[in-house]
Amino acid sequence: MLGPARSRFMEDHTVTPNETPSASAGQEPSCTCPTPPASANPAAAVPKTTRRDFLKTGGMLSLSSLIGTAALMTQSDDANAAIEWAEHFQKNYRLMTDKEKDESRARLEKRYSAEYGKEVKVDTTGPQPGMLMGYALNIRKCIGCRRCVHACVAENNQSRGAKPGEKIEWIQVLRMERGKFEKEKMDHGYPEGLGIQVGGNAYTPSGQVLEGEYHYQPEAVPEKDATYMPIACMQCEKPPCVKVCPVRTTYREADGPVVIDYNWCIGCRMCMGACPYWARRFNVANPVLPKEEMNPVTHYLGNRPRMRGVVEKCHWCLQRTRHNRYPACVEVCPVGARKFGNLLDPESEVSKILERKNVFRLKAELNTFPKFFYFYD
Amino acid sequence: MKKLAIYTVALALCGSALYTAFAADQPTDPAKVAAAAAEPAKEKEPLVCFEGRKGATEITQRDLKPGWPNVKCSPTTSAALWYGDPYEGTVPMGKMPQLENLPEGHAVVRPRSEKLNLLAMCGTACHNGVGPKANPPTLPKDKKPIPIPTMEAMYPDSKDFQHGRGRIWCLDCHHTTQRNKLVDHFGDPISFDQPQLLCGKCHGDKLRDWRDGIHGKRIGDFTTGGKKRWFVCTECHNPHNVQDGARNRGFAQLQPEPSPQLPRGMKDAKHEKVHPIPH
Repeated sequence: MLGPARSRFMEDHTVTPNETPSASAGQEPSCTCPTPPASANPAAAVPKTTRRDFLKTGGMLSLSSLIGTAALMTQSDDANAAIEWAEHFQKNYRLMTDKEKDESRARLEKRYSAEYGKEVKVDTTGPQPGMLMGYALNIRKCIGCRRCVHACVAENNQSRGAKPGEKIEWIQVLRMERGKFEKEKMDHGYPEGLGIQVGGNAYTPSGQVLEGEYHYQPEAVPEKDATYMPIACMQCEKPPCVKVCPVRTTYREADGPVVIDYNWCIGCRMCMGACPYWARRFNVANPVLPKEEMNPVTHYLGNRPRMRGVVEKCHWCLQRTRHNRYPACVEVCPVGARKFGNLLDPESEVSKILERKNVFRLKAELNTFPKFFYFYD
Repeated sequence: MKKLAIYTVALALCGSALYTAFAADQPTDPAKVAAAAAEPAKEKEPLVCFEGRKGATEITQRDLKPGWPNVKCSPTTSAALWYGDPYEGTVPMGKMPQLENLPEGHAVVRPRSEKLNLLAMCGTACHNGVGPKANPPTLPKDKKPIPIPTMEAMYPDSKDFQHGRGRIWCLDCHHTTQRNKLVDHFGDPISFDQPQLLCGKCHGDKLRDWRDGIHGKRIGDFTTGGKKRWFVCTECHNPHNVQDGARNRGFAQLQPEPSPQLPRGMKDAKHEKVHPIPH
């Protein structure tokens, strides 16, 4: 059993260096520079045969014996145990070859299909060339009905239990009170009776307050004295969460969204601390996802069911948008406040909004450069 | 001794309670059996959810394939929350100026006519342009609205007509002789499925934004030229009361979906209503 596993591994290993020179052959052949040009794509990075590689090979050889152990484990009757073993030894998604991605996909499909009693698809479609996703939200139109929040849950297989920590929603809708400036408060404030340094209308919702409510539950929305502001992941061009991730499991995909390889997440929650938009959620408890409510169309980096101890967040419905379908929240917004499109296409609705409307980015002063824009008519 | 007696009594009570509980589990009562049989039948009643505003378009839930419904409805508000098939029940939008470049059939709408239940009668029963010989139909001489009890009974909206705040009247939008049609600037009829052609007469800026996908809503394929279902004006706005009376917001009020979970140990969210900084 050890033999085939090892030979497969060796074969993989010998293939990798062969591939890269052929890929770089198309580049300038006269370049004699000792260090090859850096590439943003880790898979395309040119390998050097150094001491480090030697050590790596040695390490991998010892690792292969571990894989042999894993192969022995596959002899056990419990198919799930075998799959889990294999998952423990898979690479970071960004470093996987297409073959490894396919194997991983097959493993996950098998496990999810058994777990949820229906045929579950795990998509691994990559970014399409010429696509840079962008989002715009008309903040004047939002009525605070929270349909986007629940559409997101229906689409993205979040945990939906009743106990604390078992209910996860990626979109938050913030209600902000619209108060009045009042004549009665003219004499209040500091100094007493004058209110020069601190006027009487301070600390009250006059005009607008910045303290919002997440748990508002009126009979009907929109309320006359309130405005609403939905917030989710801004898919920053310069994401602070990616910077802090110690295992580099969260990263920006080439077509825009910031994604997470859940299998490599160690649950340290550094990204949650780094995110200035409160966009990330942590699976504190074992996720509760009823079989009948599970969405069987999933993406590896998107809405596939998560496990306990990993962070998750909005990924602009990668399983839909990679196949040109609008995200779930856009499709259910009853007032059409949510807009989605390709920023590189001048005819797309988001490009038209950037061209024609007044837009702003949330917390633009932090230089995160979100691709999520708020606008108003 | 007294203590022992109390314990025995308690034990007996528990036993009897347990017995009744188990007995209730077995549906021996014929009435109960019937009720149990009727329950699944009740569940099969088709779930209908509304899309934009209440009273406009609706979708009946059904399974496209096992475990894949055409639409998921909210259990609290019965609003459509998720589309399995964004093109359900749609027809081609028809000719639309400046959208000629779209590939054939890539712009679809859900017909409004089926929800307007009076529409089939309007043009045939009363406003058929013929009328009895003794009383041939005449067009009104001026544009002063005259209350017509029959119309007011059928369309309560017409009694307190808000749109335009008294500056427009029925026949600015409805066709004079073909009442199951709307009317454009040239007096030609417009289908009720294409209200954008009518509304754009006055609201040109909104029409332009709608055409570019900025105003209103489209679902399906987001790429330029991809197949989209377009939501037309009247699916979101009530044409007779666009600004929803005095609210002046353009969209009717509706019940919100449930709020997020409270953090562990928190009983209510009253803290959100307090602005705690004293001065």
